[in-house]
Amino acid sequence: MVDLGTATSLENLGLSVGMPAVKSVGPLAFGPEGLLFVADNVGASIFAIDVGDTGDGEPKAVDIDNFDASLASYLGCSREDVTIRDIVAHPTSGNVYCSVMRGSGDDAIAVIVRVSGDGAIADVSLEDVAFSQYDITDAADADDPRLVTRMQLRTVTVTDMSYVDGLLLVAGTSNEEFTSTLRRIPFPFNGEARSNSLEIFHVSHGVYETAAPIRAFVPYQDNTSILASYTCTPVVQFTLADFDTEKHVMGKTVAELGSHNHPIDLISYQHDGGEYLLVCNDRHPLFKIACKDIDVQGPLTVPDDSLDASPADPVTPGVGVPRQLLPHPGVKRMANLNGDGVLMLQQDEDGHSHLRTYATATL
Amino acid sequence: MTHGRHLRLEWAQHDGRGCLKIGGWTEAELRELSGLDAGALSRRLAVYPSEALPKGGDRSVSLPMAGRFLVQDGSVWFAPRFPFADRVSYSLLVGSAGDADGAEVWEIRRPSPDAVSTTEVVAIYPTAAELPVNLLRVYVHFSAPMSEGWAARAIRVSREDTGQALEDVFLPPEPELWDAQRMRLTMLLDPGRIKRGLMPNLEFGYPLMEGTTVRIAIDPAFRDASGQPLRAGAGRSYSIGPALRSRIDPTAWRLTVPNAGSRTPLLVEFDRPLDHGLLQHCLLVRDAAGQALSGVAEIGEGECSWRFMPDAPWQTGEHHLLVEPRLEDVAGNSPARVFDRDVTKAQDAPGEREAVMIGFSCDRA
Repeated sequence: MVDLGTATSLENLGLSVGMPAVKSVGPLAFGPEGLLFVADNVGASIFAIDVGDTGDGEPKAVDIDNFDASLASYLGCSREDVTIRDIVAHPTSGNVYCSVMRGSGDDAIAVIVRVSGDGAIADVSLEDVAFSQYDITDAADADDPRLVTRMQLRTVTVTDMSYVDGLLLVAGTSNEEFTSTLRRIPFPFNGEARSNSLEIFHVSHGVYETAAPIRAFVPYQDNTSILASYTCTPVVQFTLADFDTEKHVMGKTVAELGSHNHPIDLISYQHDGGEYLLVCNDRHPLFKIACKDIDVQGPLTVPDDSLDASPADPVTPGVGVPRQLLPHPGVKRMANLNGDGVLMLQQDEDGHSHLRTYATATL
Repeated sequence: MTHGRHLRLEWAQHDGRGCLKIGGWTEAELRELSGLDAGALSRRLAVYPSEALPKGGDRSVSLPMAGRFLVQDGSVWFAPRFPFADRVSYSLLVGSAGDADGAEVWEIRRPSPDAVSTTEVVAIYPTAAELPVNLLRVYVHFSAPMSEGWAARAIRVSREDTGQALEDVFLPPEPELWDAQRMRLTMLLDPGRIKRGLMPNLEFGYPLMEGTTVRIAIDPAFRDASGQPLRAGAGRSYSIGPALRSRIDPTAWRLTVPNAGSRTPLLVEFDRPLDHGLLQHCLLVRDAAGQALSGVAEIGEGECSWRFMPDAPWQTGEHHLLVEPRLEDVAGNSPARVFDRDVTKAQDAPGEREAVMIGFSCDRA
């Protein structure tokens, strides 16, 4: 939590107190001083918000059956009107924050919900909070020359964010050109909407090079690498140091996720001296990759159909980075609960969503 | 609490906010409730969306709606933290928390707003009659702002000859890609199936099939921002041709150059349909001094041409048509690169990511 008693703290972080005009809530990420980054794709903004979490307390396992139904009741609407967009855990307190949309269209209300370790659900008031705002529209158009005819149709939809060493990394998808850019936005936001975006490519099977939007990504290995999943199927590794020197960065395709499958979320966690990544998908099971295996994995040069050959059983594929399929069904979002546990938002066959915490030792 | 009396629930405004007004209490009840602070009131009373009402009134199993109760003017008011939603039934639970046996339940439903459907689909792009099998993107324009959450349900593709629904044509629209006004939706065909070499492409082939005619249909159930369905469904049919896998080559375009002194439009005819969205801001005309001309641009039939009429008459001399490198055709190829470049083919090697300039000269008639 930012110390509101010291104007210097606010100033240093570029924050001011007021009510952020949040029109929608999407991807979330925690930044320095317990600030929560909130992507607002309707308002074309990213907010850094002091959610007032003191950071105290021990992270506890959060398990809530029918979490969507509880949210619907708390928000006073039907379950169909609740959309949980993202979940993230506070780095020290372990409180869980969810971006939730209640309703749609003109009646849509954006809510940040806090779930405490004791399971209590409450919304985070956005009145009189310290915040700062970054305009995504400006960033997307910064490289455009002046144009003769233009309808304001172009937008960038943020699909994932992570904060790494003073930079907010933002993956976004344009509603027009099919490119892959990763914006690196310095924080504190300096008001100049300055960001440098990188074109990042991947090569499929050593033959086809493509620039496709990144859907989700996670930094790992002390933030020296990121693993990214594309809107098409590959999982691709990038070295962050390349981003400082190159405008076009080529990633190494280390795995495919399988047919008709799309990646949803990735997280990293440590266990027993090793670092692991979890990737959840819309059709295939959750799977786990050991980071050390990514380092030694050469780029895929032949198509990898191992997942499709036996999607139900754990496999170590003949090609691509070794991965272990995990028996956690319907995982839609994940959050690292301070190292000891992984929080999963799981949807059952009836469409009900549950929050479950799994000890890393069991994964 | 006194059973046998009838509580009256009604929707009413309090301090400018939509509240639930609860009347019909006995005088003894009102006296008792008036003496309770907000915390005690919320332990005695709770409002739930009826579908979330805990069975048997056991409040420990279900979270009540956020808000606060107050007693005023002979009534109890519930001011919700989030507004009541149309068409939803709400239940008031009266009884102490932890005392499920003595709980009573009163129900009221929010009315459905009287509204008629006024929103319609105004355009579906591309408009070309024939599209390449590796089509990447479809735009749907609506006449009014829309609600999110319907794209996956309300947009369908089928074969026109057999009527067979084609599944998994589009990338799951999560998140949905809208313009700022929520009036134009971008749907991406599954790029995993379009890109060569990837498993979905190898196993299932392209989402569309060459040699067939397909129809993209927008279901009228698609809701606008006010929650109303469309006035009518809409659709567009396309015959599917061969894949388009080469860079856009602006030097292959045909320019019909106007005479100096006129405001006759410059006509640019392409060798293939280009992306409707990007065409609107990736072409620019400059005069000899490099100054961008202001004027009105129009996209031609089938996105195969572009006309530009300057605000001021054409000057004699050199002009340039500037083509931004991020312009794409309907299959995602740009002047700089093929959508999925075959690294073994020299002709697919990426070009300069600089704007392409095409010179033309306006002469006096």
